[in-house]
Amino acid sequence: MLPLRSVCGGIWRAAVHTVRTSRGAPPYRLLSSTCDGAPAALADADTIFALSSGHGRCGVAVVRVSGPASATALRCMAGFTQRLPPPRTALLRSITDPRSTEVLDRGLVLWFPAPRSFSGEDSVEFHIHGGPAVITAVLQALGSVPGLRPAEAGEFTRRAFQAGKLGLTEVEGLGDLIHAETEAQRRQALRQMSGELGRLYQDWSDRLKRCLAHVEAFIDFSEDELIEDGVLNRVDVSVRDLQAEIERHLKDERRGERLRGGVQVVIAGATNAGKSSLLNKLCQRPAAIVSPIAGTTRDVVETALDLGGFPVLLSDTAGLRDSSDLVEREGVRRALERVEQADLTLVVVDSAHLPSEVDRAAAFLREHLSSVLPDTGRCLLVLNKADLLPEKQRQKLDMELRGVSGLPAVCLISCQTNEGLKDFLTVLHSSVKTLCGDPLFGAPTLTQARHRAHLQRCAAALAQYQRYRDTDLALAAEGVRVAVTSLGRITGRVGAEEILDIIFKDFCIGK
Amino acid sequence: MPEVRERRTVSSWQEGTSNSNNYSLQSRYTEEHLSVGITWTLKADGLQQHKTTPGVTLVRNRKLRSSSPKLGDWINVGWPDDAILRWCASHMLRKKLPFLHSLLSPVSRHVGHLAGHQYDVIVVGGGHAGTEAAAAAARVGAETLLITQKIHTIGALSCNPSLGGVGKGQLVKEVDALDGLCGRAGDWAGIHFSILNRRKGPAVWGPRAQLDRQRYRDFIQSELLSTPRLTVLEGSVEELLVTEPNPEEPGHHRVTGIRLANGSHAISARSVVLTTGTFLSGSLFVGQTTSPGGRIGDAPSSPGLSHTLRERLGLRTGRLRTGTPPRIVKDSVDLSLAKLHLPDSHPTPFSFLNTHTHCKPEEQLPCYLTFTTPGVERVVRESLQLNCHIQQDTKGPRYCPSIESRVLRFPGRSHQVWLEPEGVTSDLLYPQGLSMTMPPDIQLRLIREIPPMRRAEIHTPGYGVQYDFVCPTQLSPALQVKSTQGLFLAGQINGTTGYEEAAAQGLWAGANAARWALSMPTVTLSRTESYIGVLIDDLVSRGVTEPYRMFTSRAEFRTSLRPDNADLRLTPKGFEEVGCVSSVRYQESLRVRNSLQDALTALQALFLSTSSWKKKLPSVPISETKSTLLTGLDLLQYNDVTFEMLASAFPESLSSYMEFAQRLKIEAVYKPHCDLNKKEIERIQREENMSLPQDIDYFSLPVSLSDEVREILDRVRPSTLGAATRLEGITPAAVVNLLNYVRVTEKKKETHRNQRHQEAQRDEELCANSASLPQ
Repeated sequence: MLPLRSVCGGIWRAAVHTVRTSRGAPPYRLLSSTCDGAPAALADADTIFALSSGHGRCGVAVVRVSGPASATALRCMAGFTQRLPPPRTALLRSITDPRSTEVLDRGLVLWFPAPRSFSGEDSVEFHIHGGPAVITAVLQALGSVPGLRPAEAGEFTRRAFQAGKLGLTEVEGLGDLIHAETEAQRRQALRQMSGELGRLYQDWSDRLKRCLAHVEAFIDFSEDELIEDGVLNRVDVSVRDLQAEIERHLKDERRGERLRGGVQVVIAGATNAGKSSLLNKLCQRPAAIVSPIAGTTRDVVETALDLGGFPVLLSDTAGLRDSSDLVEREGVRRALERVEQADLTLVVVDSAHLPSEVDRAAAFLREHLSSVLPDTGRCLLVLNKADLLPEKQRQKLDMELRGVSGLPAVCLISCQTNEGLKDFLTVLHSSVKTLCGDPLFGAPTLTQARHRAHLQRCAAALAQYQRYRDTDLALAAEGVRVAVTSLGRITGRVGAEEILDIIFKDFCIGK
Repeated sequence: MPEVRERRTVSSWQEGTSNSNNYSLQSRYTEEHLSVGITWTLKADGLQQHKTTPGVTLVRNRKLRSSSPKLGDWINVGWPDDAILRWCASHMLRKKLPFLHSLLSPVSRHVGHLAGHQYDVIVVGGGHAGTEAAAAAARVGAETLLITQKIHTIGALSCNPSLGGVGKGQLVKEVDALDGLCGRAGDWAGIHFSILNRRKGPAVWGPRAQLDRQRYRDFIQSELLSTPRLTVLEGSVEELLVTEPNPEEPGHHRVTGIRLANGSHAISARSVVLTTGTFLSGSLFVGQTTSPGGRIGDAPSSPGLSHTLRERLGLRTGRLRTGTPPRIVKDSVDLSLAKLHLPDSHPTPFSFLNTHTHCKPEEQLPCYLTFTTPGVERVVRESLQLNCHIQQDTKGPRYCPSIESRVLRFPGRSHQVWLEPEGVTSDLLYPQGLSMTMPPDIQLRLIREIPPMRRAEIHTPGYGVQYDFVCPTQLSPALQVKSTQGLFLAGQINGTTGYEEAAAQGLWAGANAARWALSMPTVTLSRTESYIGVLIDDLVSRGVTEPYRMFTSRAEFRTSLRPDNADLRLTPKGFEEVGCVSSVRYQESLRVRNSLQDALTALQALFLSTSSWKKKLPSVPISETKSTLLTGLDLLQYNDVTFEMLASAFPESLSSYMEFAQRLKIEAVYKPHCDLNKKEIERIQREENMSLPQDIDYFSLPVSLSDEVREILDRVRPSTLGAATRLEGITPAAVVNLLNYVRVTEKKKETHRNQRHQEAQRDEELCANSASLPQ
């Protein structure tokens, strides 16, 4: 165990210890906040939770909780009021929302006291039914338990490593997994931040940063400077407004725009490659207008699909080319934005444009891919209009392009004759299946729960500002700092330098 | 051979009995050029000097260590070749500094004696960083040589005559908690004490003092000269001596000493601390003229040093600028036209060892506040073409801008100007906020646009300085240059500004340089436990783009890192793990800690119902709706409850802790917040205990990291996983991949059992008593 050089904890621990030993009975008030089980030194700052099983259509979903408040979660959500269940034993319980005591689901719960758990901390697993409604409800209920927050990418793994539960060889493979998790979360966040909700959060974040900068300026400079008390009064108003707005937002059952679920598959490529035809083929209806005129599709056309049991949101985009047409240029911008947010991109190429030699064709495709995609890791290459190629060249391409390094999976199809479509569907299905197997992948419910948790923390922290405003500005500022950090977990990290930049922009500081 | 006769025992030093005031020292000293015989008698009220001959007393420190003096012994110490000054009684010297100066110069110029001598640590520079570094290195137990251009300017306040402030005051308290000099020097030299932010909560209180420049310098000089194992040498360093690295440690070079200018003397040392301030390729600007130098009145430092750093060691450097205002003749200012600003009526000392300041409350001097006028802005605009400093785009500090940049950035406003005393006997005023670089005649025109200075005279014009700094991301958290074994940097050379920032780095670099030289592992301070840690972590993991100054807003755990608890946070660590704290201070910090603990226990033990509390403290509004029992600690968290009130209600259990009344109140109020911080602090500390090897080739690591991430890691080379996590652009996946390479270093509490350290401690004890202020 690592030494704890806590800042003033030493005194307090010692004081508590003395009281306990000198008075006989322990003072219950002091101990009520600590949880049984985890040794204090191992306890991390927060207790975290996440959906650990894949999403999409599955019978059972597993939600994992890790950290010192795991026992609290178990107590208040699985009805263990007296004592905790025996360790590592599955029990069938009603899982309830601690706020409303409404029953959310019936499922298995398991209690893993530290150190014998995956993360080495106190852990709980909820095995619940796999429907999105149940999962959302349970995640949100967990978010309302004090001390719990949704896990960041890779957090379970890091805790397990720190507790000595993972060997170095195990960690090696996990790096890649977490890379995928992070990417999925980033894309999910991008999707949401580009909408109305994103603008709302960004506005809150900007206003909060300004509040913080002004409080900090008042603390760090006002006595020798010309920073007048009026600054604080304006902050008061701002903080009050923000708190009210965030609380109203949390209460709003409509939650603004609906979050889109499913694997985001985007069709992209040059004009007239047959992207819209591919969309129509996949959804088996004429969802998009097709014509031989290049640049027919100008906006993003979205269709929800069920692909072998997995939810897919398929988008057709405008063909990529330099255009002087304002509307088309906007269409291209949207197309590129959508590609950036996609989980999987289908890059459609007109086979007739391919050079006939395989080597040159591969080079052509590589260059084309890099002009369309930020990275080639998550795409399929679709060579359309195969019917226009001579039979011999078609076979050669089909055989030889598969083995070329630096290219993703290649499918040779014809939307006209349906040739190769079946094979293509198999490849697409398996890609989507892999993506859905990742527990953190594109699950809007989880993102929603994360947002809620951070917003709740943000609103509570703003209340602290009000409480200490007149007695201790350092503690009041602490409230705004926590609020900024909480919101920053949604909109992006905020550093001290950024706050100082605002200070120097707004005030003339002379010392 | 010189002789120092000591008629006191070691134990009487330690206990500080009244015997320690009867002290006499005698030495006879014969050398080619000097002949000295001094007899001093020190009495409780000061020094009486019976007989002197101009000259010097030399003491060989090692001798002192090897033959421990006993009661009544006459001991022989020192010999001429060493030119080491040993001042056994700092009180005595403080009173007699003019005499001291006459002694210093001839001896310290005897450079020839040092040739071929081996030191543990050489500190280059005698400013705030250099003096703290030298003193800290000596306290840790290293034979230390401080080289400075002029011994007379050791401890000089080059710019503002003040110490502390918001954020900076925290640094002073922490330097003091680690037994540094500046806190005690401030208490000795302060002539106007005030705690800034008094109404904003104890976590952000800013202890600050206006200083008497002369007294500050005197204190620092006598303190250094009475530090065992510390030699002071006047000279200019021409180059660093560098050789092949020790293959068992990371790094491409190893420093072996320095070579002095004007002669070929090489002095070898196992580590070197560079604290060259603004002198590294420094140039001075007044109006349209520029001249090489780091401070007006001092010779420029030799170009060889910056050549070694850049060309030989391949260090990246940048350029920054700063400036200082003109000094005004006090008699020529009509202070009745300015607003009087009084100090605190009860001055609070910086040092945890002092209960009062040297300056009596009623002897404190006031400051004055005045404002710029539109005329000032007009003069600035008219003289822009005559002002080459302001036209350059070198980065200057945004928070201490020259008057030129203030009026240009925020035109049409009236800006504050503080008129500050420079000392008790000084006839100058320091106009805070009027740093300027225009030609002297225009400076005079400008200040005369400000009403109290209508007829003011300038004593010394203001000027600007541009200087090189070494990009601090090339340093380890011990402030050692990563590529060069044994080379440490501190102060403005690392891109910081301010006395306090320099002192903090100096202390830490000096302590680590000593530890490196003595083959002990270097130590780091976490940003979770101190402002010094925040400062160093910001520097080494983020670098600087403008002169770096401390603000409380930089500290994430501001509510835990308070000025009042710096001793609890750092003194035990300083003694147990670093070795830079004397046992006297350590014992005092333990006494304070235990008393606070006991007092808190006593407060917790007071369990009463709300109605009983109401009877005990009728004046306090206690809500009776809560049926629970409340402890004394809960009560102390109430706004209008003081410890004094509780102590008078429960004198039997609490009255013995009255000494700590204020600290207990603060502890009680902040407890819930510190508890919240604590877990986060522990998480960060765990990550900071996972160190990353400094020789990883990030470009060839066989893991999936993007080129961008590899580039960032390679550029910054974070020392710990914690530092890597805080870097901009580092993804969680990258952090997990790095887990493969971390070495978990259990931070061991090392108690130095080696003989060297024990000897060191004894010497420290000898000095600690003499070094504290006369009570």
